[in-house]
Amino acid sequence: MNSLSKLNAAFARGLIAAAAIGLILMTLIVGWQVYGRYILNKSPDWSEQAALALMIWYVCLAAAAGIHQNFHIRIVALEEKVSGRTKSIMALIRHGVTFFCGVIMGVYGIQLVAETWVHAVPTLPFTRGMVYLVVPISGVLIALFSTELFFTDISKNKGTSI
Amino acid sequence: MELAVLLLTLIVLLAIGVPVAFSLMTATILCFFLLDIPVVVLLQRMAAGMSVFSLMAIPFFVFAGDLMYRAGIAERLVRVADGIFGRATGGLGQVTVGASMMFGAVSGSAIASASAMGSALTPLMRERGYDRDYAANVTTTAAVVGLLIPPSHNMIIYAASAGQGISVGDLFLAGVIPGIMTGVFLMIVAWLVAKQRGYPRGVFPGWQTLLYSIVWAIPGILTAVIIMGGILSGAFTPTESSAIAVVYTIFVGAFVYRTLGFQKFMEAAKQSVKITAMVMLIISAATAFSYALAILKAPTQLAELITAITDNPILILLMMNIILLLLGTFMDMSPLIVIMTPILLPIAASAGIDPVHFGVIMMLNLGIGLVTPPIGSVLFVGSAVSGVSVEQMVKSIWPFYGALIVALLVISFFPVLSMALPTWINAG
Repeated sequence: MNSLSKLNAAFARGLIAAAAIGLILMTLIVGWQVYGRYILNKSPDWSEQAALALMIWYVCLAAAAGIHQNFHIRIVALEEKVSGRTKSIMALIRHGVTFFCGVIMGVYGIQLVAETWVHAVPTLPFTRGMVYLVVPISGVLIALFSTELFFTDISKNKGTSI
Repeated sequence: MELAVLLLTLIVLLAIGVPVAFSLMTATILCFFLLDIPVVVLLQRMAAGMSVFSLMAIPFFVFAGDLMYRAGIAERLVRVADGIFGRATGGLGQVTVGASMMFGAVSGSAIASASAMGSALTPLMRERGYDRDYAANVTTTAAVVGLLIPPSHNMIIYAASAGQGISVGDLFLAGVIPGIMTGVFLMIVAWLVAKQRGYPRGVFPGWQTLLYSIVWAIPGILTAVIIMGGILSGAFTPTESSAIAVVYTIFVGAFVYRTLGFQKFMEAAKQSVKITAMVMLIISAATAFSYALAILKAPTQLAELITAITDNPILILLMMNIILLLLGTFMDMSPLIVIMTPILLPIAASAGIDPVHFGVIMMLNLGIGLVTPPIGSVLFVGSAVSGVSVEQMVKSIWPFYGALIVALLVISFFPVLSMALPTWINAG
């Protein structure tokens, strides 16, 4: 494993840890909402929107890390039946497709953010565009991780004449 | 032409091993290129698919289930089930189904159930002379029951996809009787197979031990009471009740059972965000894919095709079941719920099928897809946990598939099984 791969692996682990903290915070926010309603007799009006915005952020960040950690659901039935060379080509196509999706999320995600930058989120002091800012960020990360996996696979298979 | 591109791209990408979410996205992007639809619409639909309040219950249910697994609640449920069902011939088969039903009532994830029950019961079954394939088959198929017994996050995805104000509480209630019935069918098959193979009877541990194990399991089982009680009484929304279930599970694991430390807690949080990210990305990509299908009028075409063949509600239901079963063998549950609900629900409604009843049918139907080859995530988990190859499992799993199919047919054609409980509770 070269140093870039090591760095990316650590970065992906960091993203998952940050996402886990997001989930814990979300639990606290919704828990606080219930506590507020039944104990304080005043339900916070910001909690639902804040929890949703938090979920969108951590889902997108963890989804990007999932490219590096290879935890996204995929069908491996055919992959298990083919020879090593075909398997390697299939892996390269897979990395190519996820890279393409990452680029689309990055480029058009910026457009989405620009379109919604001034749309206020009710009860929160920020806009829809700020919530969706994670979409292009996640797209860039997906493209980055896919590129790394693509070149790692190529260098691994240099000896098998891909 | 565009529809062919959409579907073919999806099939090819799935076959070569591209993750489901990215296959759905790429197929939709290509279709948008062909239809001259701005690609930013894809991201708008994906963002809309994720920005649904009720879907926030998914990470909480996943988190609560994982925490329970790590806190050892599954083993406690196995002990209770062993005390109740263990005496029968091949009693551990009954124990597996019984414990899976109880675990389904506190967790609601078929994968969590298969891995929790498989790792707890397979070594025990091997110790008592059961074949490995039997252990794998019972564990895997019993996990499907958890999809029907509330809470079930797939029912929340269904309610969100149906978009006609279907009550999650009603759906949860509707799953109770079909879930128990499916469990009983699996128990019967497990007993018949055990008898045929000559598996031993278990030994009754004694009333005192049974009572002790029940008392120890009660704090865990109370999670189900909190979730269902909270939703049905109107005290909490499904999202709130699932968050409370997380807080309660942390309390029980850390202070009552004292088996949940900080490290296990963080591991559960990390594992839960991975599953949540996977499921939510698929849901949002499937929302965009479903939008492309709607633009291409695929739902109307399918509805016209079905109604041109027959207008008999029984045959329509049978056809929809076959379509879902076939799709379920190739694709995972959550994208199919998001894609197929808007297509099939109007057809079901026109045939006089209640959306709540249809939801239960869909859960069991797609649940069967999770345990059937070539693609079945729960089948793969069952195989990995028990150390039996999928090929070996499939050779002897047929009687269990039979039980699930019979249950599906009974649930489909006797709506009262699904509707009795929600109707009764709502009337009260």
